Amino acid sequence: MSSEQMLEIMALVDGELATGRRADVQRLLAADTEAATLHRELSAMRQVIRAHEPIGQVADTREFYWSQIQRRIEQEARAAAHAANPKPGLSSWLRWLVPAVGVAAVAVAVTLQQTALPSVKEVATNVDSSQTEASSLTYRSDADGVTVHWIN
Amino acid sequence: MPMSLKNDYPSATDEQLVGWSREGDTEAFEQLVFRHRDKIFARALMMMRNEEEALDLSQEAWVKSWQRLHQFQGESSFATWMTRIVINLCLDQIRRQKKMRAESIEQMEEDLGGVERHMPIEHANPTEGLENDELRKRIDEAMGKLTEAHRTVLALHEFQGLEYKEIAKRVGISIGTVMSRLFYARRRMASLLQGLKRERKE
Repeated sequence: MSSEQMLEIMALVDGELATGRRADVQRLLAADTEAATLHRELSAMRQVIRAHEPIGQVADTREFYWSQIQRRIEQEARAAAHAANPKPGLSSWLRWLVPAVGVAAVAVAVTLQQTALPSVKEVATNVDSSQTEASSLTYRSDADGVTVHWIN
Repeated sequence: MPMSLKNDYPSATDEQLVGWSREGDTEAFEQLVFRHRDKIFARALMMMRNEEEALDLSQEAWVKSWQRLHQFQGESSFATWMTRIVINLCLDQIRRQKKMRAESIEQMEEDLGGVERHMPIEHANPTEGLENDELRKRIDEAMGKLTEAHRTVLALHEFQGLEYKEIAKRVGISIGTVMSRLFYARRRMASLLQGLKRERKE
């Protein structure tokens, strides 16, 4: 008997053998004693196992077993509710933090730019104070092309 | 439904309890758990062969069923629907565990083919003359000696009533492998039961 024939005998026992192969396998069972014995063994095993499924019994009391399930149900419900509607926490705080940091960064940049601008005194390399007595000052910066007159 | 009838959980049918549970009645659901917990646990234990794991998976199955009660259409019985959930959880768990450990040598040999050919055919009925309880015990003992791969296919076929094609889909193997494993599992069961019978006689 080949492995293929053995599997076909099993498929016959399980009612899963293709209709076209049934007659051939039936002929084999009639002609081959070993095949017929295998068929009996497989049929008996199938029947006896199906009819005697091992029984399991939960050792915990009804109340304890249920309390564990109930706790898990509640935990998962809380987790699902939290996922659907998150409470203000770090994530929502971060949502505000990002634009706030952006605004602060712009403000700092502007401030730094202003402080970095050369002061009038620093750039006023060419100072004309011909009218000092008249309480007026003139600053000129060639670099910037600016002239400032200060009259008291 | 009148409250007096609704509160009579022990005499309610599974369908009634499912209906009330869907409305959020946890007491009705608790009645369903109580009614079917042993069967669900037994199915998990059959697949996992570990009480702690089976208990955990059976409880997880109840949590899943509570969350999916709206999906239960009543095409099969509630018990069948529940066993399907626990079996799927067990298969997922087995897949996760498989990734972590190598297959046994015995299974590798069987997968290469041919082992079952060398097993002697049991002429005598190994279960003859045994009482139901004793037989159940022996079958449980013998199933515990099968490899996980063989036990899974055998349990899905014999206890879950799945066809070869459905088992192949669920386990992620070919139909040929399903047949080969089922054939080997049955032949090994016959041999183990015969051996157990001899041991008890001695």
